[in-house]
Amino acid sequence: MVTVTPTKVEPQVGKRVRRQEDPRLITGTATYVEDIKKPGMLYAAIVRSPHAAARIKGLRTEAAAETPGVYAIFTGADVEGVGPVPCAAALPGLRVPKHTILATNRVYYVGHPVAVVVATDRYIARDAAEQIEVDYEGLPAVADPEKALAPGAPAVHPEWPDNIAFTQHTEGGDWKKAFEEANKGGVIVKERITSQRLIPMAMETRGVVAEWDAGGKELTIYSSTQIPHLMRTQVALMLGLPENRLRVITPEVGGGFGSKLNVYAEEALMGFVAMRVNKPIQWIESRRENFQVTIHGRGHVDYAELSAKKDGTITGMKIKIIQDLGAYHQLLGPLIPTLSVLMMPGLYNFKNIEADIVGVFTNAAPTDAYRGAGRPEATHVIERMVDILAAKLNMDPADIRLKNFPSKDAFPFATATGLAYDSGDYAAPLHRAMQILDYSGTREKQREARRQGRYLGIGISTYGEICAFGPSPATPAGGWESATVKIEPTAKVTVMTGSSPHGQGQETSFSQLAADALGVSMDDIVVLHGDTSVVQYGIGTFGSRATAVGGTAVYLALQDLRDKCTRYAAHLLGVKPEEVNFEGGVFSSGRITKTVTIGDVALEAHVCRNLPPGMEPGLVATRFFEPSNFAFPFGAHIAVVEVDKETGKVQVLRYIAVDDCGNAINPLLVDGQVHGGVAQGLGQALFEEAVYDEYGQLVTGELMSYAIPKAHHVPDLECDRTVTPSPVNPLGVKGVGEAGTIGCSPALVNAVVDALSPLGVTHIDMPMTAAPLHARLPGRPAARRRAALHRQDRRDCPHRRHEHAPPGGDIRNPAAALPAAGRSGGPDRRHASAQPGNDWRQPGPRRPGCGLSGRAASPGSAGAAGEPARRAHADLSGFPDRCLHHGSRAGGDSLRSDRSGGCGRAWFCLREDGAAGFRLCRGRRGRASGDQGRKDLCGEGGDHGHGVEILSGRRRRGGAGGPAGIGRHTGRSRAESG
Amino acid sequence: MKVQGEFTLPLGQQAAWDLVLNTEVLARVIPGCQSLQPVGSDEYEMKMKLAISSIQGLFAGKVKIEDRNPPYSYRLVIDGQGKIGFLRGSGLLVLASESAATRVSYNGEVQVGGMIAGVGERMLDMATKMMLKRFFEGLLREAEEPPT
Repeated sequence: MVTVTPTKVEPQVGKRVRRQEDPRLITGTATYVEDIKKPGMLYAAIVRSPHAAARIKGLRTEAAAETPGVYAIFTGADVEGVGPVPCAAALPGLRVPKHTILATNRVYYVGHPVAVVVATDRYIARDAAEQIEVDYEGLPAVADPEKALAPGAPAVHPEWPDNIAFTQHTEGGDWKKAFEEANKGGVIVKERITSQRLIPMAMETRGVVAEWDAGGKELTIYSSTQIPHLMRTQVALMLGLPENRLRVITPEVGGGFGSKLNVYAEEALMGFVAMRVNKPIQWIESRRENFQVTIHGRGHVDYAELSAKKDGTITGMKIKIIQDLGAYHQLLGPLIPTLSVLMMPGLYNFKNIEADIVGVFTNAAPTDAYRGAGRPEATHVIERMVDILAAKLNMDPADIRLKNFPSKDAFPFATATGLAYDSGDYAAPLHRAMQILDYSGTREKQREARRQGRYLGIGISTYGEICAFGPSPATPAGGWESATVKIEPTAKVTVMTGSSPHGQGQETSFSQLAADALGVSMDDIVVLHGDTSVVQYGIGTFGSRATAVGGTAVYLALQDLRDKCTRYAAHLLGVKPEEVNFEGGVFSSGRITKTVTIGDVALEAHVCRNLPPGMEPGLVATRFFEPSNFAFPFGAHIAVVEVDKETGKVQVLRYIAVDDCGNAINPLLVDGQVHGGVAQGLGQALFEEAVYDEYGQLVTGELMSYAIPKAHHVPDLECDRTVTPSPVNPLGVKGVGEAGTIGCSPALVNAVVDALSPLGVTHIDMPMTAAPLHARLPGRPAARRRAALHRQDRRDCPHRRHEHAPPGGDIRNPAAALPAAGRSGGPDRRHASAQPGNDWRQPGPRRPGCGLSGRAASPGSAGAAGEPARRAHADLSGFPDRCLHHGSRAGGDSLRSDRSGGCGRAWFCLREDGAAGFRLCRGRRGRASGDQGRKDLCGEGGDHGHGVEILSGRRRRGGAGGPAGIGRHTGRSRAESG
Repeated sequence: MKVQGEFTLPLGQQAAWDLVLNTEVLARVIPGCQSLQPVGSDEYEMKMKLAISSIQGLFAGKVKIEDRNPPYSYRLVIDGQGKIGFLRGSGLLVLASESAATRVSYNGEVQVGGMIAGVGERMLDMATKMMLKRFFEGLLREAEEPPT
């Protein structure tokens, strides 16, 4: 037996441990559904409806069936035996339309699956799918939830002409009295607030591989899902297959955000097809299909009223939620607005509420859980309303919040909607965020900016959320989680969790728990998940529950194993279990010098030469954790924005996020989640909107027309935390997966409204693209507006930013969070940009310009480190070689060296090092040009072989543009501006 | 999508009426029209190639003339579909004499669906305007040419 001196081992929990998952993700060696290839595999393509509402009068498949390579075609009539797509929401009186996996005689939304073609490769399948002729008789459609409620609107489902799927009425306290009193001597504010339809847009679209083992009568489905076990149960029921003859495997999942917290028609359809053709089948959703048929998020129209006393004390709330449900219910759709109602009081003390929900059918894709699922909508409403109230009472938005928070000793805090908030100190993150910002100083700067005629705004959002779903009675399919931990004979540890991750980093955080509990190296731990034949039945990863519920189950199993190992070690040491110390993987006792390691115990427990009396061999523990309550994280986000006074474009100058998610197992993962969450919240606030036209056509059907935030849109996030442990679980953790999204959108909207408040603006709906904001600005001559637009482009040039602001991490895929997480560095870096003297509000370029001066840092350039690299000459034919205005070739060859004199026009040239670059005219100033022309130049420079420049509208009109038309920045997509 | 506008043909009202209902002329001037065959009274089958943005494809469909009120007005109803989506619409054409010329005003609604809506929507307005422009330019050319 080996004896080891116990050494002090640094605990892993609480450390910023880099993600174990990332090496395989960033080296392209991870396996996603599309990477799975099976011998003899066939490929499926799905025929989808181009109509929002139509009767199917006929369907001809002959031409498609004759296409060489086509193996089989199935239509609605073939799949009648397959059960409907499930909806787990059991709301009283809920109308549930029969959601067959293929349409039979009617289609209800654009993208509705009508038929499936199976062929030897995916291109043949797609071509053949186009050959299928469907004879549609178009019917009137309605895609706007408010229009769907209007009398005489087209009926989405003919059996329910009012288009109402359900209504729910909730009351808490005495809201009538609160509003009566406010009517007499207080104040009431009202607003219509929308949370627009969004497209979750996971980086990996959905995909299914299905394989039928006819001999073993077992079906295996590989699917990109967040809930392998729940999906197995549901798909087995749909296919009429015994549950234990269906195996679901979830390989790497490239993001879900709730869109894969579902059971989709295609999952059962591919199972059905595989069983019918007895061949493996692969279906990979195209991006356009992903836009049309994977669930959408949000889709709220909220009518809110807040009653308050004159001193700012909020007394009550009335809220009417119109939830756009789409044409069908997916797994949880109708439940999402009920979460909004629960969360509606936010972090505030008032106890009186009246809430109504109307769930509305529309001829559109179903809505369901999308990052935050109901809570961002609620937070957006309450945080907007509190700001509207503050404005009405002429109070500071921070003061009104501090006035209405419950005190930190009021916990557990019972809310107006019947929740019991577990723990909290709501003022702490707000104070911290205000301190990081220098709130009073920033207000002073805002006053100064207003004197200069600039629109600078500060927006606060203090959010709370419901996390750690959840106590089982409050969830539709169980709110517990399972974990199994095994110690192998060689002391390697295998952790199996039912919380199948899709980018959150559980492999890292659960390894940290195991390393601390068992004293083994992180490298000796494997975390398995997402295979229903390997892992004990579990619930899944959603609702910020994986660590708080799944992690707690892992923790409990680890404690069991550690107890057993301790008893085993005591037997081997010949002492009583209570006399054994365990540290750093070594069992010792103060009484004797002999020690045993966890490795010794692992081996002994398997070879069993000296089994303690009454003890079973092996080292395996399975535990289930059922939480007694949700956990309620909270935080304060503050955004500082400037609205361009000429274009209406919003620039986020600073963003401070102080979150309290209880204890953090891995602060690096917490930061990554906050970064990604804020990026998505920012996307909703500024860019994103799924738009259906009046005929029910999804007109934002691709990434050219649906703007998601790009790396250069995401500001440097200044993140910090306060720590209020949750009493609900032994780890004291709460959950942070959705926090950023929930806190972000109201902070940005409040900031923009604050910026424009001198113009009398009191509310703006999302997305706050330049066009609606511009419409509220005082009128300006068209020429100046155009010139300003070009300046705006220059500011947005991604090349300006990349040195300073690398991609913001998990914009769409938390699996790719490494750069973001790495960027955060240690706590010492976190507030780097929060230092006094930060010149964010100085006029002029805030970040190092990319121009020619930034070139040295560009990839491929030898840069400052050595000689400029010799490059192939760029083809400059067709570009002017002199100033078109003066005919002069005289000029400076860099923007840096020549900032004075000349008319400022630019043309291409070859630099001495052979790369293409610019020259600026040093000739006589043009009549119309001042400094403006030069300022508008933003050369990407010769390193890319082509220049990119913006010439002001004035010069383009003058016809002297030369290269003006080419290579203009494409950073601004049309949808952003329109 | 609403479609509305007017154009002037340098013809008398009856000649203008004959021109805008002459299927041979229409087949020549409708942009992308590959065939226009009568299948009944005031009903035609049309094949048309449409290209918007990166998507293009063949539409096959029916064109109907309703509410015929010569030489003053008629209603044009189109309904076509192809691999890239569908196209439906109807519009009223009103002819009014204006000294030696005839003013044709049109007012209708066009609905597109499928990929052409999801992908081409940004281009749709401009593409429609361009096609209408080409259509009227074509008509004008036909009107100015001596009848064959």
